[in-house]
Amino acid sequence: MRAVVCAAIVLAIAPFGLPLFAMTLLTEALILGLLAMSLDLMVGYTRLISFGHAAAYGLGAYTSGYLLLHTSLPLPFAVLAASALAGAVAIGVAWVCTLATGISFSMLTLAFAQLLYAVAFKWTSVTGASDGLAGIPRRAGPFGITMFQTKDGYYYLVLFCLLGAYAFCRSLVRSPFGAVLRGIRENEAKTLSLGYNTRLYKIAVVAVSFALGGLAGALYSPFAGFANTDLLFWLFSGQVLIMVIVGGQGTLHGPILGAAFFMLLEHVLSLYTESWALFFGLIFIGFVMFAPEGIWGLLTRRVRA
Amino acid sequence: MVNQADILRRTMLQAAAAAGFATLAGPAAAADPIKIGIPVALTGPLGGVGAQMRRACEFWAKEVNAKGGLLGRPVELVIEDTAGNPATTVRTVQEMVERDGIRVITAIVASNEALATVPKLAEWDTIFVSGDNGDGRLTAESLVPNFFRANVSGPMGTRAVALWLRDSPMKNFYGLGMDYAWGHNSMDVFAAEAKRAGKNFMGAVFSPTGTKDFSTYITKIRQSGAEGVYLVLAGDDNNAFLAQAKQYRLGDKVQMLTEQVDQMSINATGDSAIGLIGSSRYPFSLDNPVNKAFVAAWQAEYGRPPDLFEGDQYQSCKVLQAGIEKAGSIEAAKLRTALEGLAVTSVKGPIVMRACDHQAEQPGFIVKVVKREGMEHPVPEVIASYPADRVTPPCNKMVYDD
Repeated sequence: MRAVVCAAIVLAIAPFGLPLFAMTLLTEALILGLLAMSLDLMVGYTRLISFGHAAAYGLGAYTSGYLLLHTSLPLPFAVLAASALAGAVAIGVAWVCTLATGISFSMLTLAFAQLLYAVAFKWTSVTGASDGLAGIPRRAGPFGITMFQTKDGYYYLVLFCLLGAYAFCRSLVRSPFGAVLRGIRENEAKTLSLGYNTRLYKIAVVAVSFALGGLAGALYSPFAGFANTDLLFWLFSGQVLIMVIVGGQGTLHGPILGAAFFMLLEHVLSLYTESWALFFGLIFIGFVMFAPEGIWGLLTRRVRA
Repeated sequence: MVNQADILRRTMLQAAAAAGFATLAGPAAAADPIKIGIPVALTGPLGGVGAQMRRACEFWAKEVNAKGGLLGRPVELVIEDTAGNPATTVRTVQEMVERDGIRVITAIVASNEALATVPKLAEWDTIFVSGDNGDGRLTAESLVPNFFRANVSGPMGTRAVALWLRDSPMKNFYGLGMDYAWGHNSMDVFAAEAKRAGKNFMGAVFSPTGTKDFSTYITKIRQSGAEGVYLVLAGDDNNAFLAQAKQYRLGDKVQMLTEQVDQMSINATGDSAIGLIGSSRYPFSLDNPVNKAFVAAWQAEYGRPPDLFEGDQYQSCKVLQAGIEKAGSIEAAKLRTALEGLAVTSVKGPIVMRACDHQAEQPGFIVKVVKREGMEHPVPEVIASYPADRVTPPCNKMVYDD
């Protein structure tokens, strides 16, 4: 707990010490951290391996982008609306996907994400097809708040969303609801025989996970000023899964670290080599074989030793 | 070839990084370099075009630095690969602006990369002089004050073809384009022009970027019964199509027309390209003193004449150079004012960067690919040229009045 508070304080004072471009990277890292954390609810706590989490991100990004471009909705409301839409869509998706379990569930999530990708590619009037949505504005907030239009102001909005989502997820996984999720992870048949309707619980956790993933996407598109089909591509779903696993699944803060690690490494490696993905692949293999508990596991192991 | 390019890029990046540290470490040197951002696609389907554009920029920078630089300062190119991905391009330029303090960029390859980048130019206080981006919207509905197009736009290339079409006996046309911004945009313009010329436009198909097998598209073109097919393809896609079109003997039945003919794809496809008619943004055989000097210098450096994107990007660099010299600064506000209405004697003759929509007025050329004695590859030969006032669209428009 103390570590979390320390981290929050460090992040809150970061804009005073970091140069402009470092702030851009940090803002993006926090957005990706939020996305990875939302996936952790499914992967780490419920053992629902999703190969289609880009769907949540893309849905959020396109929705907030569209609302900011074509309506006069203030930025925070557009972001929240996009998050709510992602959560609502997820209920339908989860209803279908939870008909299957294990690898079939994963394949269905992948199929759904690819479906959205195809829609985004073809629905030119709404998504701009291969052009994407460009020039997404950061419109002044409600009651004349202009804070979110500045770079640092936007960073604080992202930080606030991340911390809020973290607090929410933390209490969620510690609640009786979270206990049932862990029950599903460890032994779904047993949990079912105890009288819990596990499918409903799974649908609920997918909806929450998508809503938070959608929130991350909704924050991304006004940040980048741009949304395109890459945000929905299966490759990106895989990257988010890697962030969760490298960071340390089932810990909530681990995936946030994983996202930051992934971004930083991509950035540094791509300066020196075009085939940075190759080196990242080796690092990923290393984690899976020698440190399955991820970065967070390594850190805490060091502390305990 | 590719490896060499990679090593070069890395060396340049490291050199740029070292220069950055040097600036941090000591007081600013007497002549701070003028840094120009080159966010260019070097990998992916458009990598070949990107390589041409980078080469032109490097050639220009070397030439300028050999003559003592710009405003007495050396020119330094900061080159980064965008892989042709709009999201990467926006992030790359943001990085150039925030980390390297860059205020001038050029050499973005794809139109969708440019369309994603231009809305941010005001926030970055940065000028972007396009050397390739063809999408008509960039100087129409998507025009921003800090964007300038020194190159020929897609509609202008298509217009040259359309003007040529008016005198041609062919009646029925079909289209094949790449399924992204530039493909659709150019096809729309062609369809409108064909109708205006009293021709019959029978429809078009679009292939996704990166298509390798065009057989179904070739079948559709054949079945359409058209006498001419208009192609809006670039890079690897264009090469794949031409090679396959030759196997299917498409050229025997249908006259292939294209928005632009470039030497690179002719070299890659060999005799498949013979007979192809299209516009050329820059045919190296142009007969004027500026171009002759450029071609000679290029030939001395690379052992071959400059290709289309090399000539067009070089022209953009020269426009940028003239703008910076006139402004005496690279500050966005001053440079913008200097560029508006700027007249330059370019490799294509006298051109004017008009103030109303930031499109450079310049002539259009129609070429036919022919086999010439003594040349290793087929070459484009100019069969018609049209003056700037007939090729450049009305201000802020993508379609023509007549």
